[in-house]
Amino acid sequence: MKDMQVRMPRPGARTRRRLMAKTLAVASVASLLSSTAYAQSVDVSQWSPEYIRSIAGTEEFDTAGHCADVVPLDYEGNLTYWWTGPTEASPQIEHEINDEFWAAWEETYPNIETDAQNVDYNQLLDRLRTTLLGNAAPMVVRLQILGGVEFASKGYFQPLAPEDIGYPTEDFWPGAMKSVTWDGETYGIPTNNETMAFIWNADIFERAGLDPEEPPATWDEVVEYSKQIHDELGISGYGLVARQNAGNTPFRFMPTLWAYGGGALDEAEDSPSYSDVYINNEGSKAALQAAYDMYVRDRSVPTSALTNTQNENQAPFIAGQLAMMIAHPSEYAKMVDLAGQATGADKEVADSVVENMRYGLIPEGPERRAVVFGGSNMHFIEEEYVDGEFDEMAAKAFACFWNSPEWSTKLAWTGSNPGNLAGFKTEWMKERLDTIKFLDVTTSMLPSGVPFPVIPEATEIMNIIVPDMLQNALTERMTVDEAAEDAAAKVDSLVGGGL
Amino acid sequence: MSIATGRAASPLSARSAKKPNVFSRMAAHRTDYLYVLPALIVMMVVIAYPIYYTIELSFYRTPPNLQLRDKVWAGFDNYTAVLSSSVFHEVTLNTVIWTVASTFFSFVLGLGAALSLHREFIGRGLFRALLMIPYVVSAVAASYVWKWLYHSDFGVIGALAVQLGFTSEPINFLDNRQTVLSSLIVVNIWREFSFAMVMMMAGLQTVPEQLLRAAQVDGATPWNRFWHVTFPHLKGVSMVTVLLLMVANFNSIIIPFIMTGGGPADASHIWITHIYQLAFGRQQWGAAAAYAVILFIVMMALGYFYVKALTRGDEARQE
Repeated sequence: MKDMQVRMPRPGARTRRRLMAKTLAVASVASLLSSTAYAQSVDVSQWSPEYIRSIAGTEEFDTAGHCADVVPLDYEGNLTYWWTGPTEASPQIEHEINDEFWAAWEETYPNIETDAQNVDYNQLLDRLRTTLLGNAAPMVVRLQILGGVEFASKGYFQPLAPEDIGYPTEDFWPGAMKSVTWDGETYGIPTNNETMAFIWNADIFERAGLDPEEPPATWDEVVEYSKQIHDELGISGYGLVARQNAGNTPFRFMPTLWAYGGGALDEAEDSPSYSDVYINNEGSKAALQAAYDMYVRDRSVPTSALTNTQNENQAPFIAGQLAMMIAHPSEYAKMVDLAGQATGADKEVADSVVENMRYGLIPEGPERRAVVFGGSNMHFIEEEYVDGEFDEMAAKAFACFWNSPEWSTKLAWTGSNPGNLAGFKTEWMKERLDTIKFLDVTTSMLPSGVPFPVIPEATEIMNIIVPDMLQNALTERMTVDEAAEDAAAKVDSLVGGGL
Repeated sequence: MSIATGRAASPLSARSAKKPNVFSRMAAHRTDYLYVLPALIVMMVVIAYPIYYTIELSFYRTPPNLQLRDKVWAGFDNYTAVLSSSVFHEVTLNTVIWTVASTFFSFVLGLGAALSLHREFIGRGLFRALLMIPYVVSAVAASYVWKWLYHSDFGVIGALAVQLGFTSEPINFLDNRQTVLSSLIVVNIWREFSFAMVMMMAGLQTVPEQLLRAAQVDGATPWNRFWHVTFPHLKGVSMVTVLLLMVANFNSIIIPFIMTGGGPADASHIWITHIYQLAFGRQQWGAAAAYAVILFIVMMALGYFYVKALTRGDEARQE
């Protein structure tokens, strides 16, 4: 990344350059779309671990060559970008790939000065809101899948479709495209799509008298297994997470809610209207009851669940003090990292946990098997809210590069799946499948993915109201019924425009 | 000259000559005003405008699908909604408990520490330095450390309690509605008492040694010497210390925000954390602004007493 302060553009040069660049871009995108090189790459209807393996490594892509058609490689400009990148909790390989990406970007577009900020997952939304109010936002931002619609509905985002950066919309999951669509307009590019899976420690299962190779098939069984593990071994069974205003909570609780037939609104239905409140239906109450049973009745989950994010579950899991939880595909790589850092007796325990770590599908409920269709999307901010001028060509070059089949795959290495489905056909996908244990399990969960409601109120519902409901029930401030009704009243009021 | 002499003869004229009106006084001091003008302009921009904007915003609704500039006029609805909300009442009670308990115990501990350290003894300097550590440690870092000390499953304090046989299982400090607020108050007192200690140590320097000796010669007990000699001399500094602590506690956010985020189930929300959640978590900017205005009024009232306490000596001298 270069120092943005160095270059001073000549008066008028920027305008001429932008005009020329726009013309070039329109012509090149039109030519790209008329070709078949990037027509729909993957047949989603055939989705299965076998299909994914069969297509991996079957095509080669030239990222620089493709992006050169969108924005010339010698383009001079500048870019500001915010995203949530690797953190201390991320496996080492993600840090390495991140470094590799920025080096490749600088090499491919050496004349685009880039100021990129890696912002904490739980702070990015708040920080963006604040800077938008002060017209000091970055040009490009990558947000969690839940975050975009709020800003699109307020007019902060520019219309942006995959075609604008040379990729067909068909090469992205329909659910992901839905998450970047507001009022019939597309406002972003899905960068990665993730569905989590269920991990467990086979050794703990065995010591607790459970089948070590069989995860709980239903959420009712999760409650039973959690209790049995706690009663037999005195450790936590299931890694419940219920912290407020932390994305981890809805990502881990909503699958249960949907599995029992509940929801915040009707987002789990085939054709959701986002106007019917489901959070107090029988399914939602049953899911809440399951959480209550584990936390209050059986005390079989961490007591600190109310203040924990998922990161705080990693330490007890690697220490063999937690038996099972919903987790990213990257959790395995993280555990391997943690085991590598452990010493003495801790190392022995950590190595044993890694050896006994298993991945399976997230349990089913009476209605369905469900998982949050997660991931992130890239957006362009409207020029008037950007700190400085918006450099459209630099933004497009960057979006093209980041969302290429190559980098879409590499940047999702351990934690996710490429947003650009063409990534599934690359050699890097094959390498991932060959080297990352359990990757096919998490990828198999994609068809069970349910996107969060695509309404501006979704962030508050998922990050505040749902965790509030959980906390109200788990602290016994309210009964399960009261907590559900209270949440329903809040959702109703919010969607109806009240406080 | 004759006119001036005539006015000087009249008692009314004499009064008006003594107290010219505001504008003539401003005109007489125009150079002074010129000197403070830059500071006044800065204050208008960074203090007065935000206050004005917050008050204005408090009369608008800010739905999640609208930008702030498209806000909707709501009159006093935000104030009504905030004041009638049950959460507001709970949060207000928390705020009062948080502020009063933190201030009281910080002051008492700080005073006790100052009195102890006022005497000469070996290692006094070391103790002073040690007791200052909580105040100089970053509040953010301290909050994270305490969060782990208190951790409900793997916290050191809980583990010690079990090992020493005080409890059979780790104490649930932060994930329990009944214990969370007091646990946070303990951390806050730990952070703040050194500030009170420094203030009171400064105050103790002003107590005349002769008076204390005279009282001792007269046979006054240590308690009587403290109550009748030392404490009256500390009244001014005590008042200022208590008011500063109260203002700081009303406004504090770091410890509850980092350690619990106001949870579980709102049990550790105080006004500032709740305002933050309303504004940034829920984007209810209008309601958050109304909330902030209410807090502003409370703070202004405290500020009034603070200024009164600070200027009491000056007024006495003028009289």
